[in-house]
Amino acid sequence: MNGKSRISYSSIVMKAKILWGLALAVIVGCGSTGDTAKTETKEGAPAASGEFKVALLTLGSVNDSGWNSMAYEALNGIKSDMSATVDNQEVPPTNAKDALRSYAQKGYNLVFGHGYEYNEPMAAVGPDFKDTIFISSSGGKTASNVGAFRFYLEQSFYLAGMLAAKQSKTGVIGSVAVLDIPSINSTLKAYEAGAKAANPNIKVLPPVYFGVENDIAKAKQLTESIIAQKADFVIHQANAAAKGVFDACAEKGVSALGSNLNQNSEKGVVASAFIVAKPAFLQLAKSVKDKTFKGEIVLVGMDSGTIDFEINPEYKSKVPADLIKLLDETKENIRTGKLVVPKDEF
Amino acid sequence: MILQYATPVALAATGETIGQKSGVIYIGLEGSMLAGAFFAMLAAQSTGSPWIGLVAGIAAGLLLALLFGWFTIRRGIDQVVVGTAINLLALGVTGTIYRTQFGKSGTLLSVAKLPPVFGKIDAVEILLLLSAIGLTWVLQKSALGLALRATGEYPKAAEAAGFSVARLRFIGVACSGIFAGLAGAYLSLGISGSFAENMTAGRGFVAIAMVTFGRWKPMWVLAAALLIGFAESLQFTLQAAGVQAPYQLLIALPYLVALTVLVVVGRGTVAPAALAEPYVKGD
Repeated sequence: MNGKSRISYSSIVMKAKILWGLALAVIVGCGSTGDTAKTETKEGAPAASGEFKVALLTLGSVNDSGWNSMAYEALNGIKSDMSATVDNQEVPPTNAKDALRSYAQKGYNLVFGHGYEYNEPMAAVGPDFKDTIFISSSGGKTASNVGAFRFYLEQSFYLAGMLAAKQSKTGVIGSVAVLDIPSINSTLKAYEAGAKAANPNIKVLPPVYFGVENDIAKAKQLTESIIAQKADFVIHQANAAAKGVFDACAEKGVSALGSNLNQNSEKGVVASAFIVAKPAFLQLAKSVKDKTFKGEIVLVGMDSGTIDFEINPEYKSKVPADLIKLLDETKENIRTGKLVVPKDEF
Repeated sequence: MILQYATPVALAATGETIGQKSGVIYIGLEGSMLAGAFFAMLAAQSTGSPWIGLVAGIAAGLLLALLFGWFTIRRGIDQVVVGTAINLLALGVTGTIYRTQFGKSGTLLSVAKLPPVFGKIDAVEILLLLSAIGLTWVLQKSALGLALRATGEYPKAAEAAGFSVARLRFIGVACSGIFAGLAGAYLSLGISGSFAENMTAGRGFVAIAMVTFGRWKPMWVLAAALLIGFAESLQFTLQAAGVQAPYQLLIALPYLVALTVLVVVGRGTVAPAALAEPYVKGD
């Protein structure tokens, strides 16, 4: 033996976990470019004449087949349609200010932060960089160069709830989500409201959460557990783990509802409540380019076609004509503002 | 079914038991699992055969473990540091290839899944049960098992008795890698029929904890993994039944169970005495 005191087993595991945690933090953080933020007010160099530069920050991986990938596709739409220079990073909210500052310093005209978590950092950084427009997806703070989108996804979740409540044979419907966060819960409340509006006797199980992004197996197991509670319609907010939800539904022969993206091509999915992000992103980017942008919160919903609900064409034959009529009418009422779907502010 | 969802952790923990018995703590278990999950999916997707997928997953898990072995056993570098590097490597490599192959914005992949053999039980689940029994026998009764244990307890004595500590530890770490690769492959092909970045979600670390929990005995390690699996399925059932409790508390339930059991049964040290200590010949 070399005379060194022996490290205990538990301390080895501890050390490993700490190292792993640090390493993950570094990986996530090293998305940011390493420009250290300057504390004093420093105007960003204005973009070279004619060049339009747009950046996107997301909380998670842009290949999550859901919330983040929708924004990434919209960014690519801005790139191709407006021949803009684009860049994107995966940034946790704690590092958001650094990332925002470094984009502003590099002369980006517009920075999207796809999550309400970016709203406060943007409100804090905005006054220092008047030449850059900061837009978060949801959030309540604004300034002359800070604004927010509010995707009214609740509208389509409401319709999904109506379909589920009318079509359920067991009288029980449910939902599976990754995290217990306001933006997700608001949509699930709308799902419940739609269900109750269509069928007051429907039992809507409380949302269940699997807690870890990308854990397909857990999402599947959790879905099985709500199917065991007799749910025969299941909507999800699971992003990349949605496959687990669909798989469980297909195996047990119950109906799944897609979300965020149109997922009607997936096995077991009978309808989808989704966001068509590209037009909304494009319109906003154009207003920034034309300098008509006003720092405000823009509610984007079914009226502009940004939010949509679609029944899987293969399933449509199983939906009674009067229900289709009811859904169409409700959709129209939502679109024209006659029906206001409940939503939480966050 | 509980057995199915507990299988990835149970498999990885079973293999890790052999590795730790030989004195090597393979912190890169998570990395081997993730690489196993990814390459199994890739191979199954391109060949259409889940069996080829399983083999590819095992190979990927083994390869990373051997890389780990080369640094830690041959070069005597700290096992925790190298293991962490292996985890990062796996996360980076699988993420990069996944994005280049399947697009940056991702797709919900569907691959051929493993067919069941008896009723709902599939081949990997049977293999898990058999290997827990088989490895118990190997560790306790065979000459190889004795040598492995000696290497983990007192490598100098094993070397003096004519065994190669390096070779035995390579066997141990290879075992960890093979089982972790299979565990990952089972996660993507047996349960999910799909892949998502970082889909192992910390199961490798849970498996390492299960080795301690099971007191370095394959059958107990299996039992520990099944118990945790049961606790997890219980928390899902409680959530679905609408039990009014914060879901974070329910998610922590399996770990509370593990902690409680350890407090009750965990007296005395049974960890291999030379665990995680680099061995240098003639030192």
